[in-house]
Amino acid sequence: MSYFPSLAVFFQIIINGTFLGTMYGVAAIGLSLIFGCMQVLFIAQGTMMILAAYSVFWLVYFMSIDPLISILIIIPVFLVLGWIMYKGMFQRVSQAGPSSTLLLAFGLMVFMESMMLFIWSPNIRSVKTSYSTSAFQIGDITISVSRLIVTVVAGIATCLVYLFLKKTMTGKAIRGVSEDRVTGMLLGINPNRVSAITFAIGIAMAGVAGVATCLIYPFDPYFGFLFSLKALIAIAFGGLGSVGGALLGGIILGILESLSSYTISPGWADAIAYAAFILVLIFRPQGLLGKAADKV
Amino acid sequence: MENHLLELRSVDVSYGDAQAVGNFSFYIDKGKIITLVGANGAGKSTILNAISKIIPTSSGEIFFSGMSTAGLKPEDIVKLGICQVPEGRHLFTKLTVLENLELGAYPVHTRPFMKDSIEKAFTLFPILKERINQSSGTLSGGEQQMLAIARALMARPKLLMLDEPSLGLAPKVVSLLFKTIKKLNNDGVTILLVEQNVHQAMEIADYAYVLQTGTCKMDGHCHDLLKNSDFKNTILGIRE
Repeated sequence: MSYFPSLAVFFQIIINGTFLGTMYGVAAIGLSLIFGCMQVLFIAQGTMMILAAYSVFWLVYFMSIDPLISILIIIPVFLVLGWIMYKGMFQRVSQAGPSSTLLLAFGLMVFMESMMLFIWSPNIRSVKTSYSTSAFQIGDITISVSRLIVTVVAGIATCLVYLFLKKTMTGKAIRGVSEDRVTGMLLGINPNRVSAITFAIGIAMAGVAGVATCLIYPFDPYFGFLFSLKALIAIAFGGLGSVGGALLGGIILGILESLSSYTISPGWADAIAYAAFILVLIFRPQGLLGKAADKV
Repeated sequence: MENHLLELRSVDVSYGDAQAVGNFSFYIDKGKIITLVGANGAGKSTILNAISKIIPTSSGEIFFSGMSTAGLKPEDIVKLGICQVPEGRHLFTKLTVLENLELGAYPVHTRPFMKDSIEKAFTLFPILKERINQSSGTLSGGEQQMLAIARALMARPKLLMLDEPSLGLAPKVVSLLFKTIKKLNNDGVTILLVEQNVHQAMEIADYAYVLQTGTCKMDGHCHDLLKNSDFKNTILGIRE
């Protein structure tokens, strides 16, 4: 503990890391769901987040809708958007194989970046609310109200997705089809319908993560790719194909980043995160949590 | 004229340029057990997958209860009442035994009977009840095959197609399995059985089709075939 002046500072770092990591986790859950239905890394996930962030920016700017209320608009809109994206593009292209799907996702990312650049300019934007700067104290630890709210919202979204996958027939079909598509067909499951639902939920999770991002960070159109990478690292930590694992992986990443930026320097945080990513892939390709996270 | 439950008329299936099944015709009547036998690569699984619409036929027609299945999708075939237990079981290994069974009743019209069907599955295979919340990947080979069959039965099929159910199972488990298949048949399920375990398949089946490199080499009632010297030489001779 000699690195930290006091225990309170240590806990402060852990809490900040958890807040940050929950956001990564939500994006990672979406990424993991989409991977399950297409067997491809959806590289545009982070860019979808930034699209949500800009949407919130407009909702606040033009209609003075509170960002937290805007979540109620973003989620259904992104569900529909995800459904349309799958039905209109990915269903057709995924039949041509994973490399075409990956290229399409890449193309989509670059296209959205240019569109956002055109619509919102390359200037860095941020969303300000009445509670943006408010915070409260527990002992010596400061807790930011907006970060706490974001974390709670992310937690709720995660629980809902978890329950959906675990309790509903469609959710079980999603888990089944992501493991074995042909067998799903032999049981009377229409895998394209299930994949469209999965994709829609994955995009909606990007939307939730995007709302969370804009409440905490300033953003520009190119910010998204970084989040795709962070979500990917979270999945590598937590193990692919599990909601709990993706969230936990995100939190581990968040804590790792805030610990390394405090003890070493903020400039090193990313490098250390990527180094950890590579080490995990080499030594524990099934994820840090291994088999325990395999279930849902 | 009475309709056959399932009928294939001169069906061809190709993978690219390679013909897997050529000019294959056969039928199953309600209540029977029909077996397709033949060596690896003879086209048996291909026929099942063509019936299930997992792979397209290049020509020929398939009729179920007198109705052509042309243009139908795999999920429509299940709704009609044809269920396949694929070779190698193909359970959802990360899902529990119960979840696998529940997905067997995915077609909407079978969902109202789900609870009842699960009870039936547990009566047929009591061991599955003990494993109810275990993930199916942790089951033994025999238990996995039982679960795969139980899952297919959840949709209340009129025709159950089993692809190599005895593959990789201990002899004791295999004879239990064949007894269960016979029992299912006695309960009214028509069965299409693909097997390399020719002897045991022929013991429970009414009629057999012998496939060789994608075409029907011979067919006949099982008790006749077992006496046929040509059959003994080509099929049993290689096996025994």
